[in-house]
Amino acid sequence: MSEAAPKSVLALRERTPLPPALVLAIFFHLVIFAAAFYLPRLLDRPPPMRKPIIAKLVALGKPRDKSLLPRKESPPPAAAAAPVAAPGGKAAPSTAHVPTRRELMERALAHAAGRAASEEKPDEERAGQKTGSPQGTAESSEAGDVYFTAVHDAILENYVVPSVISERERLYLSATVLAYIGGDGRILRHDLQKKSGNPFFDQALETAIRRAKLPPPPPELARSLRDNGVVLNFKP
Amino acid sequence: MMILLAILLAADRPVIDLSGGRIQAYPLALARPLGAQETAAVQSVLQADFDRSGIFKLLDPASFLAPASEGLTQIDYSKWMAIGAQGLVKMSCEAAAEVKCDLRLYDVPRAQELLHGSYSAPRAGVRQIAHRFGDDVVKFFTQEPGVFQTRMAYVRESESGKQIVVADSDGFGPQALTGASINLLPSWAPDGKTIAFTSFRDGAGAHLYTVDVTSKQVRPLVTTGDFATGASYAPDGLRFLFSSSLEDNTDVYLSQNDGSGRRRLTDSRGIDISGAWSPDAKRIAFISDRAGTPQIYTMAADGSDVRRLTFQGNYNQEPTWSPKGDLIAFSGRDEHRIFDLYTVNVESGKVTRLTQNQGTNEKPSWSPNGRYVVFSSTRGGKRQLWMTAFDGSNQRQITSEHVGASDPAWGPLPAK
Repeated sequence: MSEAAPKSVLALRERTPLPPALVLAIFFHLVIFAAAFYLPRLLDRPPPMRKPIIAKLVALGKPRDKSLLPRKESPPPAAAAAPVAAPGGKAAPSTAHVPTRRELMERALAHAAGRAASEEKPDEERAGQKTGSPQGTAESSEAGDVYFTAVHDAILENYVVPSVISERERLYLSATVLAYIGGDGRILRHDLQKKSGNPFFDQALETAIRRAKLPPPPPELARSLRDNGVVLNFKP
Repeated sequence: MMILLAILLAADRPVIDLSGGRIQAYPLALARPLGAQETAAVQSVLQADFDRSGIFKLLDPASFLAPASEGLTQIDYSKWMAIGAQGLVKMSCEAAAEVKCDLRLYDVPRAQELLHGSYSAPRAGVRQIAHRFGDDVVKFFTQEPGVFQTRMAYVRESESGKQIVVADSDGFGPQALTGASINLLPSWAPDGKTIAFTSFRDGAGAHLYTVDVTSKQVRPLVTTGDFATGASYAPDGLRFLFSSSLEDNTDVYLSQNDGSGRRRLTDSRGIDISGAWSPDAKRIAFISDRAGTPQIYTMAADGSDVRRLTFQGNYNQEPTWSPKGDLIAFSGRDEHRIFDLYTVNVESGKVTRLTQNQGTNEKPSWSPNGRYVVFSSTRGGKRQLWMTAFDGSNQRQITSEHVGASDPAWGPLPAK
């Protein structure tokens, strides 16, 4: 009687069906591979957009007594242009340039910058950008911050809500659009993912998107904005 | 796995929040009228209604590219798009014993009809056709009732006295309801059939009367005491508030609509006057000088739970509660000793100024949809009625009375 040759362990394994533990192990491996691929992207994504801060320049004047009824907000008075001596010692003509509010703001910032410079010796070693501000503290700007702010501003510039939408309705209207941006800044396509329920509001935001002239995205965002898009949440 | 991937991909998208779009009047073109000559009259009234509303920006007919002969329904939308029209109104009327009009509203960018109505009226009533269509358009866009068909009561000032007058909301067709004794402070009953007013007609001081808007029949309402003034109907029309010195002090009283069952609601040592109902009839705004100067207070409908609402200004008067319930309009005197219009937010107490540096502005009264306020103003010399949007924008003159107009009261929406 010949003894049957002993079966190898490998041969035994070949004939055994996959145990549930092995299936589970394969699944977890896949999850780990997926996480290894996507988690860095998830963690490296730009921080959530910050809403732009709208600052109002407070008018020069005496503080109003709190016990008095309020005044209407009035446009700023025309700034008194400093008399500019014309050649020949004559006063400047009356058509002298009246600075705009923006120019006044820039002057004020420049003045503040000058005062800061006189009070504090600048750090010659401080790293920054050629286009940076004297008041800046960061070494560089985040490309995403700058670009998404530009997108925000470009769309907002064309965002006109028709007055036929009542004040009450404006309180709760909202819509979401997914927009795909090409490498040249063109909006390749957009999907109205969540309609507001008011066709005039939806029409207004589609017009804003259609008319917006966006700058080209920075290289590190170009692929994501083209393939994944950007979510635009609209409210009146 | 796919769900996980989808979530990861979605989470990777940047999000931009956009709000604070510019509010801009809706560009609307009123196409050249078609049909009978009455169409032009309808269009003229409609144009004034839309212009006064502040909701629409009417485009200049001189800019129209479409031919005048363009029909009611065959529309070359590209020609209207080219001039920036978002909406387009077309109309055509036929005149026989009565005037019949076909009015249509189109959405230009979408090239579709939004509204289509056939309206008819006697020849003398073609203005009503425009008002009805105008209200339908406003309702379509804003989901709020339009007020072009409403009426206003006011006091016509003349050399011989002051009479109660009723006119369309655009000031057209004023009709005197009373003689020219001293008649003041009209207040509409919610059904729009009668108006309560204060009168010195009995020669025994100021008392309350009502006048039937149709028959012009005057009836006494409260004629006891030294004076009774400033009637204000509850939204249900079954009760009204008034100010009186029936007892030893001037207070706000509540009465049944026939003048019976009077009950004093305020009992401070100061003067309490000018009661005005909230739209839900749960609270009452009134003026009291209990703290030294006239200020706006509110109280529950039974007189309890008194709260001071305004703390700015030294003379606030004539409160009137918005039909939406959120604001109370009033007139207040500023440091220049001139009365102007303000609103105060009932919840936050925030005061907003509506008029400034334009004469004396008094006696605000809300439109029934809460979008506008009518008031009297001396900005043009003689006191006349003006209206403004609730935020102080789009101020327009309503009346052109020979001597003057004051004390406006905006009437209710017409019965369906």
